[in-house]
Amino acid sequence: MQNIDDISKNLLSQITDSLTPREVLKAPEFRQLYSVIKTMPVEDRGNYGKQINELKLVLESAVRTRESELESATIEPLDISAPWGINSKPLCLLPTEMGSQHPVTLEIDNVIDIFTRMGFDVIESRQIDDDYHMFSTLNFPENHPARDGYDTFITDEGYISPAHTSTMQNRILISGKEKLESGGQIGVVAIGRCFRNEDIDATHEHTFYQYEGVFVSETATLGQMLGTLRSFFESYYGQSLKIRTQPSYFPFVEPGLEFAIEKPAELNGKSGEWLEMLGCGMIHPNVLTAAGIDPTKYRGYAWGGGIERLVMLKYGIEDIRHFESGKLQFLRKFV
Amino acid sequence: MIISLNWLKKFTDIDMPVDELVTLIGARLVEIETVINLGAKYKDGIIVKVVKAKKIDGSDHLSLTKIDDGGISKNIERDENGLIQVVCGAPNVRSDQLVVWLPPGSVVPNTFLDSQPFVLGAMKLCGFISNGMIASARELDLYDEHTGILEIDDDIKPGTSFASAYELDDYLFDIENKSLTHRPDCFGIIGFAREVAAIIGKKFQTPDWLMNLSPDFKTDISNPVELNVTIDNPELSARYQAIVMSGADADKKSPIQIQTYLSRVGVRPISAVVDVTNYLMMLTGQPLHAFDYDKLVAVGGGKADIHVRSGHENEELELIGGQKIELSTEDIVISAGDTAVGLAGAMGGSSTAIDDNTKNIIIECATFNLYNLRATQMRHGIFSEAITRFTKGQSPELTAPVLFEAINYMSQWSGASCSSKLAESYPIKHEQARIELTADIANDILGSSYVNEDIVRSLNNAEFTIDQNPSQSLVVTAPYWRADIHIVEDIVEEVGRLNGYDSIALKLPTRDFTAVIPNEFDSFRSRMRKILVRAGANEVLSYSFINSNILEKADQNVANSYKVINSISPDLQYYRQSLTPNLLDLIHPNIKQGYENFALFEINKTHPKNNGINDEKVPVESDMTALVIANKNNISGAPYYQAKRILDYACQSFDVVLSYEPLEHNSDDPIAKPFENRRSSKVIDKSSGSAIGIVGEYKKSVIRGFKLPEYSAGFEINSKALFKVTQKTGASYIVPSRYPSSERDICFQVDKDIQYSQIIDAANEGLENYKLISAIMPIDIYQPDGGGAKNITIRVRLTAYDHTLTGDEVSTVISSISNSVIGKTEAVVV
Repeated sequence: MQNIDDISKNLLSQITDSLTPREVLKAPEFRQLYSVIKTMPVEDRGNYGKQINELKLVLESAVRTRESELESATIEPLDISAPWGINSKPLCLLPTEMGSQHPVTLEIDNVIDIFTRMGFDVIESRQIDDDYHMFSTLNFPENHPARDGYDTFITDEGYISPAHTSTMQNRILISGKEKLESGGQIGVVAIGRCFRNEDIDATHEHTFYQYEGVFVSETATLGQMLGTLRSFFESYYGQSLKIRTQPSYFPFVEPGLEFAIEKPAELNGKSGEWLEMLGCGMIHPNVLTAAGIDPTKYRGYAWGGGIERLVMLKYGIEDIRHFESGKLQFLRKFV
Repeated sequence: MIISLNWLKKFTDIDMPVDELVTLIGARLVEIETVINLGAKYKDGIIVKVVKAKKIDGSDHLSLTKIDDGGISKNIERDENGLIQVVCGAPNVRSDQLVVWLPPGSVVPNTFLDSQPFVLGAMKLCGFISNGMIASARELDLYDEHTGILEIDDDIKPGTSFASAYELDDYLFDIENKSLTHRPDCFGIIGFAREVAAIIGKKFQTPDWLMNLSPDFKTDISNPVELNVTIDNPELSARYQAIVMSGADADKKSPIQIQTYLSRVGVRPISAVVDVTNYLMMLTGQPLHAFDYDKLVAVGGGKADIHVRSGHENEELELIGGQKIELSTEDIVISAGDTAVGLAGAMGGSSTAIDDNTKNIIIECATFNLYNLRATQMRHGIFSEAITRFTKGQSPELTAPVLFEAINYMSQWSGASCSSKLAESYPIKHEQARIELTADIANDILGSSYVNEDIVRSLNNAEFTIDQNPSQSLVVTAPYWRADIHIVEDIVEEVGRLNGYDSIALKLPTRDFTAVIPNEFDSFRSRMRKILVRAGANEVLSYSFINSNILEKADQNVANSYKVINSISPDLQYYRQSLTPNLLDLIHPNIKQGYENFALFEINKTHPKNNGINDEKVPVESDMTALVIANKNNISGAPYYQAKRILDYACQSFDVVLSYEPLEHNSDDPIAKPFENRRSSKVIDKSSGSAIGIVGEYKKSVIRGFKLPEYSAGFEINSKALFKVTQKTGASYIVPSRYPSSERDICFQVDKDIQYSQIIDAANEGLENYKLISAIMPIDIYQPDGGGAKNITIRVRLTAYDHTLTGDEVSTVISSISNSVIGKTEAVVV
């Protein structure tokens, strides 16, 4: 019997030259590799079978490449620099009235605008990160039970799909440290995509957008945090608002709160109806320390809220799954 | 976690309406997700006495009973003695028994939440009218016991409502565990009640037994059996206590009152012994475990020598229920001698499980390292009430009072008594931190205006100890059950929370007048979105993760995608390498929905592995803009030009002029993979010469794979690269001339392989020596059928700054252009 390497080399070169590369997969020497399995000692079969399967994948991939090469050869090339094709006419754009911006990005623009006017710099959050930024620098020791609350996706290499925009906090603090220590403040909002490993339904998505704020100064207080957040929502809804808080727990803040506003008139709110908007708190001293900022000298606050929630409330959207559906039926509601 | 209001009331006075209480708990402690009115579920059950019970002839299990309801039911058929007839199928029904009767018209409690609750009536069974039913524990939704009716062992007057006899006119608060992760004490009803008392401003008295940290276990019993415990590594367990009890009556149940409390908070009553451990866990947050002493001695080689140690490599343990697990060195193991008999904090082993024949029971009360237990929980997928509490980090001081109380209940409910001395290992005694605080520190953090008295009052309500030292600072020590208080911020949190954050005055931070410079890349993307929308395209957002079959359909190499290993679905298994495959995947579904001609675009990030990693050792992200066009109608012309038209338009809006270069065959660039190189091109910024992306039509295999219409094409460009070339300085404005322009059309006949850009470039060269304002526009591209040549007609517009051009001047320039084109392309002017 020929060895597998020889067969592989031979078949690959046949595929490269063949006009009917898929036929090569039917070659007797390749099929014979399968037929000998039965004759082998049981303990050798697993390893051998694996080799054959790998060879099969390599050959199939070579066949696909060759097929697409052959297919491509029959395709007529274009004058890529021309404004339009031969014998056709000048091209128009699609009608503007068919175009639409996604409501989530519309709202992100809106949120960015308000926070920029309030004095915050805006950055975008990462979509793949590591344990260090997602947990360790945020006062979640390894195996801390609070990690359970964040159903994170993990890759083969141990990278993490961030479950919150707080994954940017350590970076924000480090890059603002110099400004802070020369008498300034850190005021940054991070906006971006987050992921939670959960089943989706009308109110849950594994992919969503958050806006995260970080403010650090020598004199930051919880009262300032609540003032800042109320100011944002008053600007967002264009009216004065009552706020309400609930204690909550996030390892990276102490104290931690849930922040609610009285439902604004724009959303047909009545007095006594509350909308939970985001989680917030005073940045935990360990989080400042992790970024090299002296927690005895500086204090800060941070918050994180969901963009989809703002959008759903604004337009009365009933199902969060629309956002990532890519359905024109939904998208064209926003022309 | 479920909290019972009536259970709370046993420890603190609550006189406010439920909705106010829920709001207050929400504002000061934790959000209550739902409130369940338990009273509604049990409102109809009545405790009655079975006066007569007689088997019905001809039925193997039915009995005819006459019950005494104390005469309280109205509109019901009674016999001459005022008794009510009920047919009962339970084997344990007998006369002189107190039972729970559900009268006609009542809802069977275990169907209360069903979409169609079961409403009882008066029906005929075996020829006899049965008015309602006598209920089993299962029908009462207490626990899964259906072998007979629930027997009431307390002395209760017939006619008493079941709900009021057993305090079932209750409200249950459902709380999400993760909101209290940091509060181990609140995982017990007493701790939760203490917190409620502090919130509503009531004094709270922790029960004496829970304050006695060194109870007298009275172990001077004669002939104690031997029991030794050793914590091999203090990192694994702070404290381990155990004691042996003997003489438990296996048939004994815990009091019905206790059973109803356990079942309403979601714990199934089982036997007196098991109920004791669960009851105390629910009360205090401290889990207990029971082992069969004799089995443990047998496994341990004749000795009751308990060790707390790490799991060994390749060690196996069979858990209660028969599941075999392989231990890791991170697991904490309870062993008899060196033989593992339990997975500490998580689940006991089958070899020492108590059963009906158990005579001697070891009651364990201990604390374990919460980080190890969480790893155990994740590795073995064990989510019990006990491990939920252990992973919050209970105080080691809690074990003694809880074990002592467990012994009391055990003897009351099961008749057992202690038969060993208390065995204990407590290597390092736990001390609470003493934290110094002033009102100023609290006010600096909170922005509040508290004085020392406010702080002392609120902390006293939560049973903190406060020493006031002469410098006016407060030295605060948390009570032993507060394992979460370590730093001054933790105390400030208590103060703020107990006084209510909503009472703090809202302020804005002061900032100087320096203008914030908006993020230019954000502004660029925002503008790009608006431009593409103006071009009639629809913006989509699609998942960052895709199925491997989408990668394959797009001809991308699966190995170049980061693979998510714990994905909930194969659709979310790989990070995407470019945006185009997601967009292609959306074309067919939209066409099926009836949309015939559209363009979709997305501006987002991609994560091909070949990007490598950055200085922070995390993958480099690409910022991309991709668009696809599709038209299901059979229209002429190459779709390539439609995609290119939109791209040219978008870039012109940014004052960027593009040129197009051939795309090499079999490029490794994942962005290029779906594109057919013979009908696609590399997109180049003309002024800098840098490549910014690809525009084109797709490979035949891609068209088949995604079921695309023949007329589909698109582009994918690197948003950052395009952004960079838009960051040009200087204006492109050209001062207009006051003089009229002249236009001439020229038609060049060239070989079919001559590119349009060759003609334009040559024409521009022909213009170079003339200082004129000029513009060259395409007019027509024509090729007769089967011809080897094509005609390209362009229009040249010329304007001078200082005079009106004469016909001769124009002709001179035009012939310069023609000559240049003829020279470069062997064109014939026709």
